[in-house]
Amino acid sequence: MAEKPLLSVRNLTMIYKTRKGPVSAIDDVSFDLKRGESLGLVGESGCGKTSVAMALLRLLPDNAQITGGQILLDGMDLTTLSEEEMQNVRWKRISMVFQAAMNALDPVYKVGDQIIEAIERHERDIDPAEARKRVEALFHLVGIDPKMADRYPHEFSGGMRQRAIIAMALACNPDLIIADEPTTALDVIVQDQVLRELRQVQKQMGMSMIYISHDIAVIAEVAERIAIMYAGRLCELADAVEIFKRPRHPYTVALMSAFPSIVGEKRPLVALGGEPPDLLFPPPGCRFHPRCPRALDICKQQQPPFEDIGGGHYLACWNPAPVAEVQS
Amino acid sequence: MTTAPAETAFHIQEPLWKIRLRIAWKGLKQSWALFTENKIGLVGLGIIVFFGLMALAHPILMHTVWEPNIYDPFIGNDPTILQHPSPPSARHLLGTDPVGRDVLSQLMYSTQSEFVLGLLAAIVTVTIATSVGAISAYFGGALDAFFMRLADLINILPFIALLVVLTAFFDFGMIELALLIGILSGFGGTTIIFKAQALTIKVKPYIEAAKVAGGSDLHIIFRHIVPNLMPLAFLNMMFTVTGAIFSEAALSFFGLLNLRMSWGIMINTTQAAGYLLGGWKYWYLIVPPGLAITLLCSAFYLVGRALDEVVNPRLRRR
Amino acid sequence: MLKYIANRLLQIVVTLFVFFALTYFILDAQPGDITLQYVNNPKFTKEQREALRRRLGLDKPAYVRFFQWMGNTLRGDLGESYQYRKPVMDVLLERAPRTIFLFLTATLIEFFVGYWLGRVLAWQRGTGLEYGITVVGAFFYTVFTPWFALMMIYLFGFTLKWFPIGKFLDVTLWRAAPKGLTANQIFINLLLTMTLLAVALVVVYYLTRRMNPYRASLFRWSALIGGAAIVVGYWAASPVAKYAWDILYHMALPIIVLTLINFSGTMLLTRTTMLETLREDYIMAARAKGLPERVVRDKHAARNAVLPVFTSLIISLPFILGGGIITETVFSWEGLGLTLLTASTTGDIPLVMGSFLFIGTLALLAHLVADIAYAFLDPRIRYA
Repeated sequence: MAEKPLLSVRNLTMIYKTRKGPVSAIDDVSFDLKRGESLGLVGESGCGKTSVAMALLRLLPDNAQITGGQILLDGMDLTTLSEEEMQNVRWKRISMVFQAAMNALDPVYKVGDQIIEAIERHERDIDPAEARKRVEALFHLVGIDPKMADRYPHEFSGGMRQRAIIAMALACNPDLIIADEPTTALDVIVQDQVLRELRQVQKQMGMSMIYISHDIAVIAEVAERIAIMYAGRLCELADAVEIFKRPRHPYTVALMSAFPSIVGEKRPLVALGGEPPDLLFPPPGCRFHPRCPRALDICKQQQPPFEDIGGGHYLACWNPAPVAEVQS
Repeated sequence: MTTAPAETAFHIQEPLWKIRLRIAWKGLKQSWALFTENKIGLVGLGIIVFFGLMALAHPILMHTVWEPNIYDPFIGNDPTILQHPSPPSARHLLGTDPVGRDVLSQLMYSTQSEFVLGLLAAIVTVTIATSVGAISAYFGGALDAFFMRLADLINILPFIALLVVLTAFFDFGMIELALLIGILSGFGGTTIIFKAQALTIKVKPYIEAAKVAGGSDLHIIFRHIVPNLMPLAFLNMMFTVTGAIFSEAALSFFGLLNLRMSWGIMINTTQAAGYLLGGWKYWYLIVPPGLAITLLCSAFYLVGRALDEVVNPRLRRR
Repeated sequence: MLKYIANRLLQIVVTLFVFFALTYFILDAQPGDITLQYVNNPKFTKEQREALRRRLGLDKPAYVRFFQWMGNTLRGDLGESYQYRKPVMDVLLERAPRTIFLFLTATLIEFFVGYWLGRVLAWQRGTGLEYGITVVGAFFYTVFTPWFALMMIYLFGFTLKWFPIGKFLDVTLWRAAPKGLTANQIFINLLLTMTLLAVALVVVYYLTRRMNPYRASLFRWSALIGGAAIVVGYWAASPVAKYAWDILYHMALPIIVLTLINFSGTMLLTRTTMLETLREDYIMAARAKGLPERVVRDKHAARNAVLPVFTSLIISLPFILGGGIITETVFSWEGLGLTLLTASTTGDIPLVMGSFLFIGTLALLAHLVADIAYAFLDPRIRYA
């Protein structure tokens, strides 16, 4: 790991202040992302994946507060930037493909104009004709008829909107794109196409990417490394192949078994009992212990450290599953 | 819906109505908790209760401490005071009007009819709007088109102007006015709101389930759709009350209604007798009724807004 | 778009017809007819009464009379006013500009003030301020209009003497007016200049709609101030400046009152819709693009929040116009509303019908214009 990472998240901790008390949405999350690398962030809904994405762009609701840690982008700590400085980082350095593409386009402006707006924001002196040309090129790149730039969002189909959003995310040639559930709202066939295009464009342009999804199957298609998140914490992070072949965290194991493999052997479907914890009152120790089949006494008291167990495989568990348990 | 066979697996000891009542009570308690979060709504409720007490107190006062000959809202006159109108005094807390009648007594007496008017208009409005809205949404087609065009037409009419014309040509009392306002707003804009809501209910799975279970159209409309419109109906009643009280006061102020006494008429009497030009000196003739109308209207409006936040979760603050 | 407008036009024609019919049948449903006036007159025999009825067409069936009445109405013949002894049409044509001018100015001011305040309110969401403004807003929203107007007259007319009391012009001043100059000419000219200004502003708005909000608002404000300056300059230089000023001076207090009464509805609604709009994903997207807060607020949030507010304005237009009766009465502003009311209380039936028709038609037309304007605001309707 001689190369300096593009993005380095160090011990990020964030809470939501609510009337009932602070909700611990992100707790002590650390990971690195190299230039051109794609990372998948997987977890069930409410585990804090989207909060991480929003924290990276510092687009958190008013009641959210980053209470600790750093977000280093090329060594620059985003958590300490002023609002104006942060505005310059947004989209120019880090852009985003939104979860609900249906609603991420403003219904009263033409789609092309909305992309030009972003370009003009970050390249003040750009010639309007040139910005326009770039939009057309982007539309071409993501497979939409460039003429559609003069149409309004309601005239786009779901798949086209998602593509337009991707075009918009690419508009300022950012270093990092965060794709938050980029395809959830689409039907399966379009989903696959869009994912492939996204992956292709990312490789072509050499950008880093963070994919966020609850669907590990989707992530498996696009991400080189996968991080598993549970109740605001990362429990495991490793290369995609490693995660699939040798999952160690009991939660990852359970997730994997819920993902049927066509080529591999049959394996028992492990149903997780219980519910994700209420983050107002997170359980002490490892947050997964109330649902964990392998929980020990120590799990109830002490938080396991998130450590490299070899070969860039990070794990936070006191009693990891043996490698042999999952055969595939 | 209530035709559960006797040999169901688990025996329910309680009668069904008790369970329903308990669920309703629980819902009410939750709604109340949400409502009380909104201080403005509570202020509104307080004002309404205050006026309610005033309305109730009037007959009691008339039978106990107030001498009927002096304090009667229509024919009372205080012979000990030589010149009317007279400013507030210990005997007449809000003074007397140009004819020598006690202003406070008139104010309290009128409160009763304002409540009757407002609530009657609101009930008529909501009854019409829920039924028409539910029926339009459920059946659609020509029936729906007819009611919606009718609503558009009524919506487009200048409401007050229409009331002025109607009250000028026909003899209107409190009840007739309440019915008229109720019918106009029931078939008018309110229906559109209710229909929109009913449409969202119509597509819910339990409606489908009721249809599959063989429920008749009327059964589905009145047992499933209408009950789910009730929160909206309740909320809407508040706004209708505001509108009705306001309309009555305006028409009375113009002297177009055939009423013996109301807040609007109190202002009208003052104006007709020329005391408006006297400036602040005769404030006690015009401030109490005007303020009463404004306060009661605002109170219902504020309660309505607070209920809106209970009924419509999108407005709620987290 | 053309289809949409054509559709609306057709709808309005149908609605107008239904409205006219309704008006007629309200009139027709009154008990008795005019010949009953003579029922106790011994010199007037039953036969004569019948003859009169025939002459007046009262023996014909209702629908025949309706179509006759309709034909006359469409030809502009609304009968003769009992009160003024001249054609109803003449009376109303004289009074309509006053109402239109007052109503238009007040509605425009009300809408912009309410929208602007609501926008600011939604952004600066502090609990104390929020409660305070909501209560004040609710007070103005539900205040009993005549009472409030009277209080304002007391305060500004009697006590402070800032504004004149009642009427729309100063009679002594106008007695010396040059021959042939009528208040109506001034009203109509004022209306015309205002319309020109409005059109110019809309054009400027349209031309600047794609600019970044700072520049756009610079252009818009200078267009507004410049345009207003030109209009004021034109009027100041005209020979009738004194008279126009007199009218405007008389109009100030009614407009202030109307604005105060009506702005809060717009303000409260803008605030609510703004808060709802702020939760939309495209607002998040706009922020993520690195746009400054002000651009997010003005170009994206407010632009979308205005749609429901404008719809609500369209719906309340007839109500505002009808409510104008109250304002006109309290300020003795001799417009359509006051005409309707005095005609109603004096039993001048032709004038009642006529002014009701005028007010209703005005409401319908305002509705139509606002509907078309809405289509320009919302592309989803424009291209539906």
